[in-house]
Amino acid sequence: MSLERRMLTRELKLIAARPGDIFKPMWFLMLVISMVPLALAPDSDLLSEIGSAMIWVATLLALLLNTEHLFQSDFSDGVLEQWLFLDRPLAWLVGLKLIAHWLFHVLPLILITPIAGIMLSVPTDVLLALLVTLVIATPALTCFSGLGAALTLGSSRSGILGVLVMMPLFVPVVILAAGVLIRAMDGSDTLPLLALLGAFSVVAATLVPIAVSAAIRLNIGGSN
Amino acid sequence: MIFEPIDIEISELSCERDDRLLFKNLSMTLSSGQILRVAGPNGAGKTTLLRMIAGLFEIQTGAIRMNQSPLTECLEQILYIGHKPQVTKDLTVLDNLKFLTGSDDDHLKRALGDVGLKGYHDSLVKELSQGQGRRCALARLWCVESPIWILDEPYTALDVEMVKTLDARITAHAAAGGICLFTTHQPPQSLKYTTLELGHVT
Repeated sequence: MSLERRMLTRELKLIAARPGDIFKPMWFLMLVISMVPLALAPDSDLLSEIGSAMIWVATLLALLLNTEHLFQSDFSDGVLEQWLFLDRPLAWLVGLKLIAHWLFHVLPLILITPIAGIMLSVPTDVLLALLVTLVIATPALTCFSGLGAALTLGSSRSGILGVLVMMPLFVPVVILAAGVLIRAMDGSDTLPLLALLGAFSVVAATLVPIAVSAAIRLNIGGSN
Repeated sequence: MIFEPIDIEISELSCERDDRLLFKNLSMTLSSGQILRVAGPNGAGKTTLLRMIAGLFEIQTGAIRMNQSPLTECLEQILYIGHKPQVTKDLTVLDNLKFLTGSDDDHLKRALGDVGLKGYHDSLVKELSQGQGRRCALARLWCVESPIWILDEPYTALDVEMVKTLDARITAHAAAGGICLFTTHQPPQSLKYTTLELGHVT
């Protein structure tokens, strides 16, 4: 079995062993969304106007929640340092891990956002735009929060620190995505902004694994 | 199988960690068939030296070369088992080994039989005792063909029987032309080795 297949099988088996890793962020997302109408006025016009933005932010936070410890358990078990001895470049393995994480942990989050959209009476065409922006933007977000997780591997209370370090990189993605949603509500052309978002994800997916592998090496070198 | 002749040349290696000098101007050559025990009190730099040779810890001064080429080009020749568990608790014994070695099931089951984990293939590592978890990590010595073994505290939590099995395995590895470096505080009885004493830097 090739290393690539072994890596993906391992991710799937880990999910089967710890299903909470997938469901906790989903619960979080649904919880935030169900609190919005309670905290605001239960006015469907208002909700449909801000709903898509709320869902976007809640999905971003849920994504951060399930990515902040991406490498932590492998690092403390000493399995991560074994990756350095496998006959593939570390950046390639990191890329695989990020792809697996996006497929198995982030995609399920995106798939439940239509339910959240119905709860906040988001119009169907905006909901569609929301789904498309999430699918296009989350690879970049996954990469950035993975980098945050890798950079803070060595420190014991790493969770929030990694998010803070990566915050500046999230901002342009969120701004672009918000632009797409506003245009979708106006009914104007969203394609240029989507293309920019896509470019962001492509660049992130290409460069971030290299940065992550450097961060992992740095942290392994400093530990015993 | 017999390994190609191999030598590791350590020259003028010094290490300073957190302003403490762990070792200074360490020079030695390790060649095929050699078993080296790195000894010394706690904090003498045993793990750090092993991690330097395994390429996991940056070399500050000095050099380590393997067959005249830089260490970083020969990492796939090394089997490193550190003192961390080296296995994922939420996966089964077999899945852990399958990921790290890529060997087929029959091969792995035979290796697990060798380390006394027969019948534990599908147990989760977290269900095993500490010694059994260690056996699972060490099972890689029976199914990977790397000439250089770097074992940090391999004897921890092992029972008398397993210590003997491991000694026999290391002896066989050296007889096949492999190199083994290890650390331990309990000198193994049934193993012939040379000792490198660390911790005499003042």
